[in-house]
Amino acid sequence: MAEGVSRRSFIKTAGLSAAATMGPGMVEVALTVNGAARKVKIDPAATLLETLRVDCNLTGAKEVCDRASCGACSVLVDGKLVCSCMMLALDAQGCAVTTVEGLVGADGKPDAVQAAFIKHDALQCGFCTPGFVIAARALLNVNPKPTLAEIKGALAGNICRCGAYTNIFNAVLEASGQAVVADGG
Amino acid sequence: MATTTPTMNRPMNLGASAADHLDRVDALAKVTGAAKYGRDRYLPGSLFAALIRCPWGSAELLSDNAAEVGKLAGVVEIKISRREGTYHGRDVGYVLADSVVALKRAMNALKLEWKRREVKTRIEDTVKEPPAINEDAKKVLDAAAKKLSAVYSTPVQTHSSLETHGCVVDHRGDSATVYASTQGTFAFRDGLDEALKLKGSDFEIVCEYVGGGFGSKLGGPGKEGLNAARISAARGKPVYLFVNREEEHLDTGNRPSSMTFAELAFENDGTITGGQILTFGGVGVARGGGGCDVPSGRYNFGDLRRAHTDVSFNAGGPRAMRAPGKPQGAFAEELMLDEVALACNVDPLELRMRLARSGNHKEMMKAGAKLIGWANRIPTGTQTGTIRRGMGVGLCSWGLFPARAEGEVVIYRDGSVEARTGTQDIGTGQRTIMGVVAAEAVGINPDEVRCSIGSSKLPVGPGSGGSVTAPNTAPPMRAAALDAKNKLLTIIAKELNVEASALEIVKGEVLRGGQRVMSFKDACQRITGDSITGRSDAAKVDTSGKGHSDGVQFVELSVDTETGVIHLHNVVALQSCGRVLARKTAESQIIGGVIQGLSYALFEQRVLDRVTGAMVNANLESYKILGPKDMPHITPVLWSKGQTKVCSLGEPPVIPTAGAVACAVLNAIGAPVRSLPITPAKVLAALAGVGGKKNEDGGAR
Ligand code: FES
Ligand code: FES
Repeated sequence: MAEGVSRRSFIKTAGLSAAATMGPGMVEVALTVNGAARKVKIDPAATLLETLRVDCNLTGAKEVCDRASCGACSVLVDGKLVCSCMMLALDAQGCAVTTVEGLVGADGKPDAVQAAFIKHDALQCGFCTPGFVIAARALLNVNPKPTLAEIKGALAGNICRCGAYTNIFNAVLEASGQAVVADGG
Repeated sequence: MATTTPTMNRPMNLGASAADHLDRVDALAKVTGAAKYGRDRYLPGSLFAALIRCPWGSAELLSDNAAEVGKLAGVVEIKISRREGTYHGRDVGYVLADSVVALKRAMNALKLEWKRREVKTRIEDTVKEPPAINEDAKKVLDAAAKKLSAVYSTPVQTHSSLETHGCVVDHRGDSATVYASTQGTFAFRDGLDEALKLKGSDFEIVCEYVGGGFGSKLGGPGKEGLNAARISAARGKPVYLFVNREEEHLDTGNRPSSMTFAELAFENDGTITGGQILTFGGVGVARGGGGCDVPSGRYNFGDLRRAHTDVSFNAGGPRAMRAPGKPQGAFAEELMLDEVALACNVDPLELRMRLARSGNHKEMMKAGAKLIGWANRIPTGTQTGTIRRGMGVGLCSWGLFPARAEGEVVIYRDGSVEARTGTQDIGTGQRTIMGVVAAEAVGINPDEVRCSIGSSKLPVGPGSGGSVTAPNTAPPMRAAALDAKNKLLTIIAKELNVEASALEIVKGEVLRGGQRVMSFKDACQRITGDSITGRSDAAKVDTSGKGHSDGVQFVELSVDTETGVIHLHNVVALQSCGRVLARKTAESQIIGGVIQGLSYALFEQRVLDRVTGAMVNANLESYKILGPKDMPHITPVLWSKGQTKVCSLGEPPVIPTAGAVACAVLNAIGAPVRSLPITPAKVLAALAGVGGKKNEDGGAR
């Protein structure tokens, strides 16, 4: 990832002369998103987030800060939680990318985290929700029975302006098969 | 999709609403990423636009390299239409490109040379001295047993909606579709006809989902909408214009800053006899809109002189933010009361029980005190350990304002039912509660009603501001549903040769004298044609605007006296809102209000450089919003007490929180922090002042 970030920041912040000389010739990238192979033509400076949203019509991941401080753009890259606004699409080649859309089962049923979010009303406007769902899924994949403190820690990179945290905690407890008695406290 | 197992962790709220276990109807779309917000609309052939902004509090544009940047690949147009700005973020033109990346590249390459001018950035730049005390107030103060003289201040809070302001405009020559992120679908339409060069009936505003709106998206299309509309109309192509995070902080409105100068006179038992409260609102480049609601009218303040002045300076101006003017006023008011209580050695809850005007508030205070465990509160000034605990309490109230709203309910031959209102759902649960209202009136389950909202082609509805949507849309939606039901029953009655009034629909069955006649679905099949439509204008709807909502919040926290860091433990939030329609979404509204209040109390603050006027924290890492790790336990209590009228809910829960936090901090450390946000540095400074010079009547000055 370190290489990806530095390449991204170089390309993204390149000034007039660099921009004029470097680009923006389009390049073709091959991505694997939610299990499906996709070939898209993109500007080499495009982030994974932009590519997913604009070129793959997967708009679940949101752009809120575009600098890794809100978690709204979260996706899984080879199972790891990543801010897709901080990764170049070029660097996601050869990786398995999972977005919030990809958590829905083949039968159309929502994943356990998604179902628990619905039951506990863990959202209001819903703009932060895909990011929280992905972050919670990433947590449960490695820690199937997290404590409340572990849940708060794992979600600390996500912001919800509407203030749905209490119900988000309850939903993650529920999704991990634990009793929801604490009311998020 | 309704669940069968209830969320049992809030047993006190079960039975409080018309639909206790109903899930938010659009939750599935939101958790799966299927919900399309304005920002998610990438139309084929779109152009992407961004506004060029003044980077300083006040500056003149000397030169630019627009001509050069305009030649970069993918750049369609650069237009600079102003050559000066009087606040950071003032738009002076726009860049148009054919892709997101080309737009970013052009914005990065754009070099503007500005000449900075002198700026004012704060209320204090104008209000340099404490204002004089009025002669009448002086008399009351001179006759007082005790006095409090204090200055309270609150910072600018930005709305920080996660979906930024903007829209996508698709102009097709003789018609247009506008995908907007707005709190006012109809205000957006009404402001756009000139820019689009179309009549309001020739274009549609679509706003199916809104990624947050706390007041700043109320006032029509704004500069984002107007620019996108003009460009799309001129070029005949879809235009995508959403501002970025920095711009969202700078130029989409805010909760204005405030200063409150209080001179209070009171008796030895804490009875307030009067004095003077002067407030100032910091409104940036605006002329007004900085109100600070203190005293709120919830407490008896005796014979008080009162005045408010708005102060302008070089910064983005305010826009009504969730309960405008109220949280800043409540912060000053509640902390004042606790300072009076401390000076009189009276329990602050007991003082409030005496000073509060409404019996409803008194009842809620009693119930909330039990839930938070007020009996265990440690008297102020008696703790000596490193970690000190504190409890605080605050009150809120909100009225009910009338707004124009219509509804339609369509019953289709196939047995499906659609509730229609053009108003939008900003996350309050509007889409869900419309279904509850329609279903109840028709006599079927709420999850059998589909709700169509968020379009200017649907029946007119109010903007989501002032907490007016639920109370104003519920009565017409009910009237429309009753009208549709009556039309259906008239068809059945004819067939059965009875009066329609002899029939009713209960739980999806048509009944006559309590006996089942047929199912609702069978009844629908007797509709000739495709559907029947019930309309709200078929009945007189209560638009009196009478009704009110009250709330009381208790906060429990601890303060680390070595670091000044505050840990939030518990919040109990009791809230009335008339009749509750759906428990889960109502609880979410209360919890959300509390969280925004806590965030305001401890973290949020627009910071302007005093020399340049530039905002130095226009992002989401140094403009800190309360996050998961900062969260206390929150108990929302629906105080519904058998009410039949739907009242307001969205705004009031954000009002009392910061005041209650400030009171809890005073309780913990024995000294007031009179300025928001209550940062560790301010806590340490207040602690350092403890035991220092106190004024002669014992109040901390
Ligand atoms: S948009 Fe990527 S972290 Fe905020
Ligand atoms: S639900 Fe609106 S930001 Fe989280």
